[in-house]
Amino acid sequence: MMGKAHKMHTVPTYCYQCVAGPDLMRVQVEDGVAVGVEGNFDAANCTPSAGKVCVKAFGLIQKIYNPNRVLTPMKRTNPNKGRDEDPGFVAITWDEALDEIASRLRTINEAGGVDESGYPRVAASFGGGGTPTYYMGTFPAFLSAIGPIDFSFGSGQGVKCYHSEHLYGEFWHRAFTVAPDTPNCDYILSFGFNVEASGGVCGVKRHADARARGIKRVQIEPHLSITGACSAEWVPIRPKTDAAFLYALIHVLLNERLDHLDLPFLKERTNSPYLIAPNGFYLRDSQSGKPLVYDLRSEQVVPHDTPNIDPALEGCFIASGIERGADDDHWTHQDIETSPALTRLIEHVATYTPQWAGEICDVKPEDIRRIAFEFLDHARIGETIDIDGRTMPYRPVAVVLGKTVNNGWGGYDCCWGRTLLSCLVGALEVPGGTLGTTVRLNRPANDRNLSVKPGPDGFMDYPMNPTDAENWVGNPAVRNANRTLVPLVSNSPWSVALGPTHLAWMQQHQPFDNWPKPTQPDLWFVYRTNPVVSFWDTNQITETVSRFPFTVCFAYTHDETNHMADILLPDRTDLEGLQLIRVGGTKFVEQFWDHQGFALRQPVVEAQGESKDMTWIATELARRSGVLEKYNNAINRGAAGVALKVNDHDFSLDAHEAHSVENIWDAVCRAASAEISDGQDKHGLDYYREHGYRFKPFPRIRWYLTAEMEDQGLRYELPYQERLLRIGTELGRRLHAQGISWWDAQLDEYEAFPSWKNFPGMWEEALAHHFNVDINDYPLWLVTTRSMQYSWGSNVAIQMIREVASNIKGHGGLVMNTSRARELGLKDGDRVSIRSPLAETHGLVITSQGMRPDTCLLVGQFDHWATPLARDFDMPSMNALVPMLLDLTDSSGSGADLARVAITRLENNR
Amino acid sequence: MTRYVMVADLNRCVGCQTCTAACKHANATTPGVQWRRVLDIESGEYPDVRRTFVPVGCMHCSEPPCMEVCPSTATRQRDDGLVTIDYDLCIGCGYCMVACPYQARFKVTSIGKAYKNGHMSHEQSREHRERLNVAQKCTFCIDRIDAGLAAGLTPGEDVDATPACVNSCIADALTFGDIEDSDSHVSQLLREQRSFRMHEELGTEPGFYYLWEGAS
Repeated sequence: MMGKAHKMHTVPTYCYQCVAGPDLMRVQVEDGVAVGVEGNFDAANCTPSAGKVCVKAFGLIQKIYNPNRVLTPMKRTNPNKGRDEDPGFVAITWDEALDEIASRLRTINEAGGVDESGYPRVAASFGGGGTPTYYMGTFPAFLSAIGPIDFSFGSGQGVKCYHSEHLYGEFWHRAFTVAPDTPNCDYILSFGFNVEASGGVCGVKRHADARARGIKRVQIEPHLSITGACSAEWVPIRPKTDAAFLYALIHVLLNERLDHLDLPFLKERTNSPYLIAPNGFYLRDSQSGKPLVYDLRSEQVVPHDTPNIDPALEGCFIASGIERGADDDHWTHQDIETSPALTRLIEHVATYTPQWAGEICDVKPEDIRRIAFEFLDHARIGETIDIDGRTMPYRPVAVVLGKTVNNGWGGYDCCWGRTLLSCLVGALEVPGGTLGTTVRLNRPANDRNLSVKPGPDGFMDYPMNPTDAENWVGNPAVRNANRTLVPLVSNSPWSVALGPTHLAWMQQHQPFDNWPKPTQPDLWFVYRTNPVVSFWDTNQITETVSRFPFTVCFAYTHDETNHMADILLPDRTDLEGLQLIRVGGTKFVEQFWDHQGFALRQPVVEAQGESKDMTWIATELARRSGVLEKYNNAINRGAAGVALKVNDHDFSLDAHEAHSVENIWDAVCRAASAEISDGQDKHGLDYYREHGYRFKPFPRIRWYLTAEMEDQGLRYELPYQERLLRIGTELGRRLHAQGISWWDAQLDEYEAFPSWKNFPGMWEEALAHHFNVDINDYPLWLVTTRSMQYSWGSNVAIQMIREVASNIKGHGGLVMNTSRARELGLKDGDRVSIRSPLAETHGLVITSQGMRPDTCLLVGQFDHWATPLARDFDMPSMNALVPMLLDLTDSSGSGADLARVAITRLENNR
Repeated sequence: MTRYVMVADLNRCVGCQTCTAACKHANATTPGVQWRRVLDIESGEYPDVRRTFVPVGCMHCSEPPCMEVCPSTATRQRDDGLVTIDYDLCIGCGYCMVACPYQARFKVTSIGKAYKNGHMSHEQSREHRERLNVAQKCTFCIDRIDAGLAAGLTPGEDVDATPACVNSCIADALTFGDIEDSDSHVSQLLREQRSFRMHEELGTEPGFYYLWEGAS
């Protein structure tokens, strides 16, 4: 088999197809053709993934050479849009495409950028939990240069993300995402958190290491997921009842083991000792306004920050002080009975017994009690560990939540229960415990510790959107009204995308009362996302998108969203483009590193066809739209990830010139080198092309926010939610003053302690009410689960991914409990109708013992009808079956991936 | 003596198929052919159910039934335990595919394409016409082993001398090495943990061990 000698080399780059990245890798190139992917083992000792990449990265070779790629700019010739309309795309030149877009942008700019409703005339939608940012080069600089952009039109946010966790997590402990400190943890309660499918290389490796050393993980989930399979115990819970389970755990610990909890943590690091006044707000010192506690040493009521006190957690005390409510509400109290927040909590959860929860969750009460005790027993309360020379509490227990658990109704309750459980045993943000891993709503984004600043009442400050009469944003600046309706969503660059994004879509069909007219964007950019497939009620999204007047899609292949586009722009794929990004520190999911620095994505081979680098496209659009100077200045300020002026070094670009892709990234590389070396080095693009990355150590103590909290003498704002109670009350007054009552159900969620509501019943009632059906005609819950092979990867068009994913159960149809299927006269391979009150889809039955009899499952997001290859999968999706309803929207603006369905066999299996 | 074996830790494997994909890259197997893959196996009845991920492929048996039935002597066994196929000798009769109790052998009759409407550059550059109409299977990345050994490297320890599936495994579930070397990683694992081999009762003496707490 001797043949000609082949010229082989490897090129370092990164994979960031999912939020659990980035991972470093090398691409094998043989005779100028990319042929394989391997880990970058040079980085084995300084990345948590040991230099490896997951299965998705291996799809990138086919992604380059896929014959179905769009390789020239195209324009639509059929003015009619719709699923059944042939777009009639024809090839055009880049000049034609860019000039057409730029011309429209100039017109929009001349019109002031916003329309008669005050909404931006330009909208943009990106997918994948922020991962498109790591592929779009300097496109963010272009967007910032052209003026207001509406990121309202979500492509999955709210229903496909950990929405409540994002908002409440950041509020309570700077935790946009939450993870166990897996390298140090011994016991994990996982409510549907499918880390083996969604945690990336780092998550998979760390949990495998943890299993090898004997960690116990209990997976509480309606079906036996990948993570359930890899856990010590599976508890098949009824869908959407997780909050009851969590409440019962809290009940057991407070009622049966109070003296064994981490009382010092509760006293010093939480608001447990704060005295609660009659109207539900803190009892405050009449002079300083500070919340009061009862000091067991002096036997007096004192401000919470009085030195050398021993605040009481239990009891009833006679005290005087003031109480501040919403707006200007104000009360003065004299010698009233008051008790600490923890005492109020014990009363609040008194009825949430394991027996009570067991019936709701369909779980044995003795199992709930046992799990509560296991959690406490593993917490090692009182033990310490040395981290970077500092003695820290060692609490190797964690609680994590998965999607559908931590979004939609019940999401707040579960996030609260999860975070509170950690507080009860002192396991929040300490070694071994439950950690946050990144911030997106707080600033700065690069190190969440730096966002910790003293705020009111001894807690961290939080950039809440105002709810007072003077400052409330009564006129929404974007179509999903994020700042108007959701105080917690803050006002960072991520905040619009984390607003109630389905509201933007819903209003296109049904305007809301006393609300600005729901206009369409004049121009809509779509990049690395496919909302026509990935959102809820996809039939309605399809219809809405078909009415948008001018849509520009960056197109890899033809797909369901760009089927309605006016212009297709072929950008370069992952292995063809150039970009430097920040890596390391603490990022999404379990990506907390011992290093931080920068990594380069670079072309491994020549780009295919006429595809162009995103940075080239951004520069050309900026130049042709007349915003080149603003664009360059945005890059100089840091829109490409690094400010180009670092200390005494200035690598800024001439703002008046259009720069080449290489020159832009060379400047960014030099600034990055100067930053990471404290000005010692100025390595440019060539250095990163050769080495791929550059790191410096990241102190492990920065994984644990409690260290920073201790240093600043701050408390976590738990368990009592006085601030939420106040802003909820204020928000209600503002909305009612404008005659808005359609958000009232959401206002009810602003409680000081969340109380159990019949969350499954809320779905049942909403569906029965809106569709006028008997919910018993839809007897099965339908849930979904992550596909590691596909999720976030924009890789549904890749044959190899399809091939290997098919080895995993569930990738071929509807998973049903074996006995339940038999009762319905169904067997493996039968073709069935899957019908919700909203819509119907079809698929093949896959029977499984690892499934609750009252629940069925569809993996991932499919149902493609335009994307080449994927349109032949015959893979059903729940997305068309889930309605967008205000009744199913929580106060954070999210819903949940949950439906009720009827399954019936199709005649002749067709 | 040297005897190369693979060890798969079922407590670690998550069924992600990264090894499956890495194998396809390393060996340029045609679409549909998976020399390495991971089975997703369910056992028990609701609610007492187990789901287990089991990497499989050629077991490089000490007593390979495929070799016994091979009429052309194409299938052979090296001194280091690797079971090989000489494509020039193989007549494609398929006896070995039937004889293999692990369903590890494949035969294709045409150059495969991932997409019907195009033959991609990397497919064209790595066509393996010598594999047409003959038996093919996992080689334990024999070329990497041999090249690594020639460079003074140790299979199972050095990346460049180790099978691609092992290098790629993100759960560190796969380990490769010389079972005759008592200091090797595989020897250490098999000494310290319970293990079994698949279909051991058939007397094939597979060179593929599974670490599993339930093993006897």
